[in-house]
Amino acid sequence: MSTRPTNAYLDALARQSLAASNLAQFIVAADWTVMLASNGAARLFRRSRENLEGLLLTSLIDNFSAIAECRATGCPHEGCYRQLDLKIGAATAAVEMHCEKYNDAAGVSFRKLTLHDAAALAARDALRTARLAKLSLLNQVSEALYGAQLSLPQVLESVLIAMTAGQGLRFNRAFLLLVDERSRTLRGEIAIGPSSREEAERIWRDLADQPNDLYEMMTSYDLSLRETDVAVNDIVRRLKVDLADEDHVLIQAMYSRRVVHVTEKDTSPGLADVRRWLGVDRFAVAPLATRRGAIGVLIADNAISGLEITDLDLEFLQLFANQSANAIESSRLTEELARKVLDLRKAQQKQKEDQQTLLRMERLSVMGETSAIVAHELRNPLVAIGGFARALLRNLEQDDPNRQFAQIITEEVSRLERIIHDLLDFIRPQKMMRRVVSPDQIAVEVARKMQPALERGAVELVQDLQASTAEVHCHPGEIQQVLQNLILNAIQAQPEGGRIRLSSRSLEGGVLIQVADHGPGLPKDVAEKMFSPFYTTKSAGSGLGLTICAQIIKAHGGVLRGENLAEGGACFSFILPRPKVETENGE
Amino acid sequence: MAKILIVDDEPHLRLLYETELRRAGYQTMTATNAEQGLEYVQTMQPDLVILDIRMAGMDGIEALQRILDMDNTLPVILNTAYSSYRENYLTWSADAYITKSSDTNELLAKVKELLDAKMVES
Repeated sequence: MSTRPTNAYLDALARQSLAASNLAQFIVAADWTVMLASNGAARLFRRSRENLEGLLLTSLIDNFSAIAECRATGCPHEGCYRQLDLKIGAATAAVEMHCEKYNDAAGVSFRKLTLHDAAALAARDALRTARLAKLSLLNQVSEALYGAQLSLPQVLESVLIAMTAGQGLRFNRAFLLLVDERSRTLRGEIAIGPSSREEAERIWRDLADQPNDLYEMMTSYDLSLRETDVAVNDIVRRLKVDLADEDHVLIQAMYSRRVVHVTEKDTSPGLADVRRWLGVDRFAVAPLATRRGAIGVLIADNAISGLEITDLDLEFLQLFANQSANAIESSRLTEELARKVLDLRKAQQKQKEDQQTLLRMERLSVMGETSAIVAHELRNPLVAIGGFARALLRNLEQDDPNRQFAQIITEEVSRLERIIHDLLDFIRPQKMMRRVVSPDQIAVEVARKMQPALERGAVELVQDLQASTAEVHCHPGEIQQVLQNLILNAIQAQPEGGRIRLSSRSLEGGVLIQVADHGPGLPKDVAEKMFSPFYTTKSAGSGLGLTICAQIIKAHGGVLRGENLAEGGACFSFILPRPKVETENGE
Repeated sequence: MAKILIVDDEPHLRLLYETELRRAGYQTMTATNAEQGLEYVQTMQPDLVILDIRMAGMDGIEALQRILDMDNTLPVILNTAYSSYRENYLTWSADAYITKSSDTNELLAKVKELLDAKMVES
């Protein structure tokens, strides 16, 4: 069995394919007998194909001689073209004839004639020319939008100029609407176009003086100088559609990503509003869309001239809108980038300044420390010099001539010591030292200070203070710090709220102070380590709180103890010593 | 006669304090560092200690803690060129903190006050 189609079948297919052609095509013998005719040929001659086949071309075309008048000496391989006006019946058909000459296997010659409609060809050429012009226009637009480094407002203006300029898309008016993410609306931004025919004529006259080149125009023309756009800008400011209004003609156009041509017949949601705003029935809406999504729409109309918006206009409006959208997006991104670069630069500058300040402070601090050390180191020799000068002064007789010298040394040393004192010692008053105070007063003061923290933690502080007449020898500020720390821990041990008992008892050797909570108590491992530096069970703790408390109590001659109570909860306690004098008095 | 132990690593200052304290009628002994001072506290039973803070080896703050561990009734005066140690609570258990001065009257007054108090106590 053969794996190839039969020649007879292919012959039939070739015949069929020619017959089916919409172009007027014939196969004619050397004597101009029509051997085969296409559907297009049947239409041209207003006869059926079967009817055509077998007829002589001379009988079909009145001025057949025009075809036969081929002066070519030899037919080129690709055939040749000729423009002819063929008379068919009463009509004249302007055609472009393509003639190809072939020989069959036996050397018998025949022709294939194709008759193209010249009018259709001319229209196609005109369309091609127009397209080429628009493409060159788009190229200029693209150069202007991307090449000229325009700011965002300039880009928006340029887009509108290109839409309305005579060298551009030639719409009468153009409106630009952008998505406002904050208000979730599509909002009118800027517009261009005259408000009346008179104004239009004046503008068009003025424009004659403007540069002819669209690129020039887009990059140099200043919209703000034009007062004529007031009316359209009033209109554009009124244009505002909720993004959620998905059926609205403008929102639809934006999300469909296809240009919409609105004519008198259309009735879609929101259209009445838009018509009222614009004052026209016919207009075109082009979506501004980038790869990242829809950013707005362009609306164009011919409100003044009343000219029809053609399919070609729409086609280019679509292309133009795509380009504009990308230009707007890129300009936005550029501005955002510029802003970020500026922010970054500011941050860098700030960091540099901070670093310098830090460095200066560090230097000052080092200088301060150094001078403090030097001053301190001077103190010891000064004490020796001054001390012995005083001794000397004391030992010298009243009339000894050296007395005066010893006196001078004493005074000068005192002066130096005063300088050092003023430099280093004035900050620390004597009150840092221990005093004899009432422990209950300290406890009451702490309770007062902790009230806000207690309230926040919904914890009640029960004050069980029974050492009101007792006195202790301590550093009140530090004991306050210890109590505050213990109470804070107790609050944190009861995250759901609860109660803390702060108690004082007068004992023989001093005053016992206790802070007890109703929390879960101290786990064994915690109890072992809680006084170690940097040990903490809190996520934000330093691990130094209890360590410092324990050391403060130790410095007061006591021990800070933490234990679990039989009835539940943890209890911290310490004893503050009585003043030594008081101890003596008590005995 | 009360015995006063002076712990200071500056020889001139030791001499000055000895001179002044003897003139005031006290018996004195001196230690040139903290370790020696601690030894004398145990062996010589002073009635009062004048302790410098900044010394080579063990400093006066640690020496103070150890002295109090041995005998917390023994009066200790911290006598230092550095006023900033007042901020360190470990120095608060001393009976007095005096900044060194060529005018020894404050030191002498404090010595007398503490010894008088001690005398009454015992």
